Amino acid sequence: MTPEQIVYRFKSQFGDKIKTVKIETKEAAVKKNKFSIVWLRIDREIFRDAVKTLTDIQQFPHLSVVSGNDLGDEIELLYHFTVNYGEHLKEIPVNICVSVPKSDPKIPSICDLIPGALITEREKQEMLGVEVENIPDSRRIFVPDDFPENVYPWRKDEKGIPESMIKKLYEVK
Amino acid sequence: MKITKSFERALWVFHVNTGSCNGCDIEIIDALTPRHDVERFGIRLVGTPRHADVLLITGPVTKQMEEPLKRIYAQTPDPKAVIVVGSCGITGGVFYESYNLVGPVNEVLPKDAYIVYVPGCPPRPEAIIHGVMKAWMVLESLEGKKL
Amino acid sequence: MKYTLPIGPVHPALKEPVLFEFELNGERIANVDIKLGQVHRGIEWAGMRRNPVQILYLAERICGICSVSHPFAFSMAVENAAGIEVPERAEYIRVIMAELERIHSHILWAGVAAHEIGFDTVLYLTWRVREKVLDIIEYLTGNRINKAIFMIGGVRRDITKEQIPKVREALDYYKGLFNKLVKIFLHDKTIKMRTEHVGILTKEDALKTCAVGPTTRASGVPKDVRQDYAYSAYADLNVKAITPDIYRKKFAGDVYDRIIVRLFEVKQSIQIIEQCIENMPGGEIVSEPKIPKLLAILKKAVGEGIGRHEAPRGEVFHYVKLDGKEAPYTWKARAPTYNNVLAWIPMLKGEQIADIPIVAASTDPCISCTNRVSVIKGRNKYTLTKEELHKLSVEKTRGMRNGIL
Repeated sequence: MTPEQIVYRFKSQFGDKIKTVKIETKEAAVKKNKFSIVWLRIDREIFRDAVKTLTDIQQFPHLSVVSGNDLGDEIELLYHFTVNYGEHLKEIPVNICVSVPKSDPKIPSICDLIPGALITEREKQEMLGVEVENIPDSRRIFVPDDFPENVYPWRKDEKGIPESMIKKLYEVK
Repeated sequence: MKITKSFERALWVFHVNTGSCNGCDIEIIDALTPRHDVERFGIRLVGTPRHADVLLITGPVTKQMEEPLKRIYAQTPDPKAVIVVGSCGITGGVFYESYNLVGPVNEVLPKDAYIVYVPGCPPRPEAIIHGVMKAWMVLESLEGKKL
Repeated sequence: MKYTLPIGPVHPALKEPVLFEFELNGERIANVDIKLGQVHRGIEWAGMRRNPVQILYLAERICGICSVSHPFAFSMAVENAAGIEVPERAEYIRVIMAELERIHSHILWAGVAAHEIGFDTVLYLTWRVREKVLDIIEYLTGNRINKAIFMIGGVRRDITKEQIPKVREALDYYKGLFNKLVKIFLHDKTIKMRTEHVGILTKEDALKTCAVGPTTRASGVPKDVRQDYAYSAYADLNVKAITPDIYRKKFAGDVYDRIIVRLFEVKQSIQIIEQCIENMPGGEIVSEPKIPKLLAILKKAVGEGIGRHEAPRGEVFHYVKLDGKEAPYTWKARAPTYNNVLAWIPMLKGEQIADIPIVAASTDPCISCTNRVSVIKGRNKYTLTKEELHKLSVEKTRGMRNGIL
């Protein structure tokens, strides 16, 4: 499928719940082959249906990782999928971006559709303070067990790392 | 810590990784391979700290590895020396400030530990052998004296 | 009778060594639990306080073995976000450095895998062979491990005409050695006994857990970023993903298949480097040679971008968001073993304890750093160290050889 066909499929199913769509096309090296990247920004309520639509396009889409941005009043989660792998020069990265407000930071889990999402969802819980509903295993993964609660390393507001926790290794005492 | 004559013959080394990027670890194993071949001097990598004379420590110490490092140091029998390989363990290197690191190695080990530093990121195998030799020569010269 | 066996921090393939907890039924493993976090240094948090050129030096030291892959993906993400064009000659030089690193990493892995089975001589011989690649890397860039050859917008050093004959000599050396490596690893009866039908990952499990790299290619899924996604000079070179049917018709996704995939990838890398040297275009090597000017361009840039690269262990993924300040707003770096950790669970269920080192090492995490192994049997608690676990693995080899097991 071409990027335009993928975007058309999403738009025809969800209409105006999709906030913005962007397709970037670039060229590479001497022979100037083209590659494209699709960015979709959607509402939280159609998130699980959007991922189901992606599994209709290809049965097992590849989830690379989930990144997060702290935007002041909301937290934006970006799910980086790719489809059409396995064929020469045909893979298309599809990035689905969902915003959750900080007053209600919940998002449904997709571990039943894509079991490989477990580690990256656990990481978002401890790094950004997002609560993932129905996650099969919600323990901490990278941060030590005695790390204080309510401190989230990637946040830029008052819940980020306070100055008292930073250790400067080069200081001479 | 009294230095004994056993250090004249061979030096048995135990390697501890407290959270490093593995660059120094592969240069340490490279020192054993046939090009540099440090086993001809009697230096050997052992699998448990109870057999070791010298500890080779790499990496900045993370919070999760602080307790195991102290325990390994306590389990190594006297007389012992410590060699810190790589800039991470000396002053932090590239990781000069962080929320999960507990500080350079000399702040984690007890104050009377005898430490030799080998800087570099990562140091070449020749530099590591040079550091081990220096530690060995100093330990020999302290033979018999009380530290 | 069931008991739990924790195996302390092992294999920092990425940022962390790993703590396993096995539930055992006799000698067979019933269930596995994996705990990460021992090498968490707070790198992405540190990236929010430095400018992009300083982050390049930090990204190199995420892992010492694939120290070209992380700067490659990071500079691609920043160039994507800020709209910087890379000259063509720089793309070809980047690909040559990435393929040299792939050769060094796969030969390193072959030695470590042989050590886990019990063939220490093969470890010493393969690492001696690897010194030639490290010599070439030092000749071209100045250092063996942390090469510092990437810059945002190109590379920092050029490959001149006088340096090419030495590179060709090293490639001929490896071409002559390939058949010997195949004979040692693939025709040997003991290696076949230890690695066939051990640590099987089925095609469906590989797709569901989103595994990457040779781990998933050995199960029959042809996922390879160099083949699928046109980036850098790979778009010109027509690279094909290598699956085990290049060597044997029926394959099962076990440890033997992963050895096949990695050895044939070394041969493919040699061919790619030769193609790059033949077709290298002329021109400049970096789009903006003065660093203060480059930092000023990046300070004003706004946008977000992704960068993907095929490291020796799998796909490396970086995401960068720039918003007009000196440090990036967000940086996410994901190393390939992050995705392969979940693939360990179906691979290890049903295996024996003595097979744990070779199965865990077959997905190529970095060097083991086992702390302690505690076995709790009823009321008695005794500890096994990494060396004793390794000894169990070696004794199994000797036993199989003598026909006892």
